[in-house]
Amino acid sequence: MTSEHDGVRDLLAAWAFGALPPAEQEIVPRHLAECHSCAAEAEKLRETVRLLDGPPSSRTGVRPWSDVLSTALRARPATPRVAAHAAPYAAAVAGLKALLPEAEGRWGTPVVHDWDVHATVAHLLAADEPLAGRLGIAARVPASPVAEGARWQDAWNRRSAEVIAHEHGRTPEETVADWAAQAAALLATPEAREPELAACATMLMGVRLPVADHFVVRAFEAWIHTDDIGRALGLAVPAPPAGHLGQLVRLAVRILGLALGPAAQPVLFAVDGEQQWVLGSEDEPIRAELALDPVDFCLLMGGRRTPDEVPRRAVGDEGAIRNVLERAASLSWL
Amino acid sequence: MESTGSTPLQPPADTELHRRLVYGDESALAEVYGAYGPLVRRVAVRVTRSPAAAEDVAQEVFAQLWSRPYAYDADRGSLRTWLSMLAHRRAVDWVRSEARHRKDARADDSALHAIPDASPGPDETVVDRERSLLLHTALAELPQPQREVVHLAYFAGRTYRQAAVELGIPEGTAKTRLRTALRTLAESLADPPDPALERGA
Repeated sequence: MTSEHDGVRDLLAAWAFGALPPAEQEIVPRHLAECHSCAAEAEKLRETVRLLDGPPSSRTGVRPWSDVLSTALRARPATPRVAAHAAPYAAAVAGLKALLPEAEGRWGTPVVHDWDVHATVAHLLAADEPLAGRLGIAARVPASPVAEGARWQDAWNRRSAEVIAHEHGRTPEETVADWAAQAAALLATPEAREPELAACATMLMGVRLPVADHFVVRAFEAWIHTDDIGRALGLAVPAPPAGHLGQLVRLAVRILGLALGPAAQPVLFAVDGEQQWVLGSEDEPIRAELALDPVDFCLLMGGRRTPDEVPRRAVGDEGAIRNVLERAASLSWL
Repeated sequence: MESTGSTPLQPPADTELHRRLVYGDESALAEVYGAYGPLVRRVAVRVTRSPAAAEDVAQEVFAQLWSRPYAYDADRGSLRTWLSMLAHRRAVDWVRSEARHRKDARADDSALHAIPDASPGPDETVVDRERSLLLHTALAELPQPQREVVHLAYFAGRTYRQAAVELGIPEGTAKTRLRTALRTLAESLADPPDPALERGA
């Protein structure tokens, strides 16, 4: 047996499939002319491919894209068209809706805190409620009265627990339907579509921000919990598209800057792909430089990374850097 | 969130398209359709022998990618291969369900000619048509590593070397997988007919 014989033998399937590079195309027929066993094998493989091929098909009309799209949209409706400030929330809602069918039969999988997948969706139903209420959308779960002067975190946690308890008496599908309906109602408000209307500042969850920014906060929370659910189910949830991620980052930096206050030791803070900010005092020289990846920064702000473990590039005063990282992590309410 | 498997990282294009599909960006579906629509139809028409059925299969395949984007995992393979394999699976299912309908129709002795598309054309004998379906059914059941190479080399028109690069495997491995796959298919013709297929299951 020659080495050419062995070489051709290895190539026969690729040859039969028409998958040989030009440089190797001549060697096969040359060898087949003189080797009966290869010729028999080649004939058998070629015949198999011929049967797979079938006769040449007559080309007929390709279905128009609009038909393909409308079939797809019947299975999963289009994301509502909203103004730029609400687009990250619309996308985050679409992203969670795309993930939830994968939870079928696994609703009891533990996610975060003591929540399973079902409870995490119920939490989001509660979490979207303050903005929904402000925009005139009625709560879907009856609410017990909140004591005057209660801290917003306490009221928030109580309401979340109340809704989760309520929803655990229903099916996951019912909870998902209610969460999705409330999200759709939020995205259908005039405030989601008209930037001028969304410019009014309002106090929600302990922070006074324009309604437009509250929509970005909703996107942030929906994405973080979607990522939680994805991890629990063993599915990698992609980070939001770059444009939306930038909106989340810029809002988070503003909230972080406010929390640090004007007296903190100044740190030059950079998020990859975004601009740089000076956090803290404007009257002192910069003490340190800190750079984070946008997703890592969001996960730190969302309480999904600790100051110790978050990957960073930092130079300068350790204390000033630690102050920024710890303050960022402390802001998480999720 | 990072790829931990031994499979190669996919080109950023697939990861980015997947991200946009997950977050409900219809323009990503339009791009995928533009790039892989011809491949999906080619696969489907080879199996179904019916351009109309192939269009139905293509429509279903893209609707599934849109409605269940998490069924595709960019860490485990290219979108091209995944769509090609899904189209093939769906097309085989289509033919089997046609076969079942014809059997039912024969059983109640009516509507025998209701599905002219599935009958062999003038260029193909009944026997060849049946053998072809047997082969495509066997192809759909090959182990995934073999199926991936076959899809790239046969349906997507790649050379075995290009397929190896796309899958991140050595060229020799690509050759071997093609050979094992095609021999398995050739041998499936020699085997007695699959009883499940006979029942149209």
